[in-house]
Amino acid sequence: MATTSKQYKNIGEDLWKGRAEKINAELFALTYGALVVQLLQDYEDYAEVNKQLEKMGYNIGTRLIEDFLAKSAIGRCADFREVGEVVSKVGFKSFLNITPSITHGVAPPPPSPKPDGGASTTQASAGSTFTLTLDENPLAEFVELPEEVLEGGLWFSNVLCGVIRGALEMVVIHFAQLSPSLKTNSSRQVQMQVQVDFISDVLRGDESTEIRVKLVKYLEEEVPIGDD
Amino acid sequence: MSGRNSIQVNPSIPASSLVPSSLAALADPPIRQIDAAAMDYFLIELVNTLRESSAVATARQKKVEKEMAEAGLLPPPAPAAPTVPKKESARDSVTSLNSKSSGKGTAVDEEEEAVRVRLEAIGVHVGANFTERLCRDRPLFSETLDAIKFVCKDIWAACWEKQVDNLRTNHRGIYVLQDNAFKPISRLSSWQGRPDAVKRARLYVAMPAGVIRGALSRLGFHGTVTPEVTALPQCTFQVKLPKGT
Repeated sequence: MATTSKQYKNIGEDLWKGRAEKINAELFALTYGALVVQLLQDYEDYAEVNKQLEKMGYNIGTRLIEDFLAKSAIGRCADFREVGEVVSKVGFKSFLNITPSITHGVAPPPPSPKPDGGASTTQASAGSTFTLTLDENPLAEFVELPEEVLEGGLWFSNVLCGVIRGALEMVVIHFAQLSPSLKTNSSRQVQMQVQVDFISDVLRGDESTEIRVKLVKYLEEEVPIGDD
Repeated sequence: MSGRNSIQVNPSIPASSLVPSSLAALADPPIRQIDAAAMDYFLIELVNTLRESSAVATARQKKVEKEMAEAGLLPPPAPAAPTVPKKESARDSVTSLNSKSSGKGTAVDEEEEAVRVRLEAIGVHVGANFTERLCRDRPLFSETLDAIKFVCKDIWAACWEKQVDNLRTNHRGIYVLQDNAFKPISRLSSWQGRPDAVKRARLYVAMPAGVIRGALSRLGFHGTVTPEVTALPQCTFQVKLPKGT
């Protein structure tokens, strides 16, 4: 009963149309650009600015996900692949009105000795990735990066990585499965720890702007369905 | 695809005479928009991020001053006399450190001031460039009042989704713009009570003040903009433009 990609697109479209207030994206681009310049002047360190942008994005993401879950009727995601679909087609669409295209990565094979003998399904998919390719980046509308910034390694739109990381860390995926220890159907509530990085950016002269989201691990706690 | 006739316009003839305005409007790309809630969260986090970065910058500046003072290049900062404010010749931002070490709480005020200055600088950048985009096809405003009215209507509508509620002037270069429900501070509250909320609001109106100042300066009118918050969510901006512009 997986929601198809097209259905997610429609959900995203409807959510965007339903957003009550919209702002001219140019204001956003101008404000963000001025902020990056100010941060560069304050920190004088490109890696540090990358880190601060990501941190700012993390805080924004933790708030955005609540807004998103409240407004959208998205059900639980079955797996990380579906998470990627929702992020790209519904999440980005409803807030930034863009739909990055998504490429799912293959999870690496699980290591042969299992460390704690449990949760074999979830451990196996840790390490899965998906890559978002942004055809248009509303943040970078008026931006041109000079030489020394390019060499310094600044990822201009790094805030987006933080937003994805913050949002996904707050999201709960449900895995319904038989738990041998509890002898009941238990629903595993897992939150995701992800690592989000830019792989390429047209602002740096690359061909496309790509963000890779890698699942580091699930942070899980088992909750028997019978309770609460 | 059916064949389409392309319209060739002779560049020496003004486009407006040959191309109907509806077609000319098509020449511009559609206005991109993003969600306002996302923008609000972004602005909130922007202030927090700037607080941290300004603290780092201030600490570094102080360290350099201290080293220079120890090396004898600078007179040591005397407790009573204020040291000369330093201006970094950076593009848009001006960081001035007035180390008046009289009275308590100046460290906190210094930090707030540093953040405020940065916010205003960002506002100036946004206001100036956004005004440029909005006024691309319009002739320059000849009258100061027209420019102010543009700010009251178009800038306010684009940034804060309403228009200014009240505009007063003394016809001698001072204009007071009043907004009874100013959007950036409309949802601001503080668990410490009203006076604290008003104090915090002063920080959040720094960027809008910058937007107004930047917009006016790009239109050719250079002056000062002083925001004032006495009761949330009402806010007034006093614009002082030199006479005769």
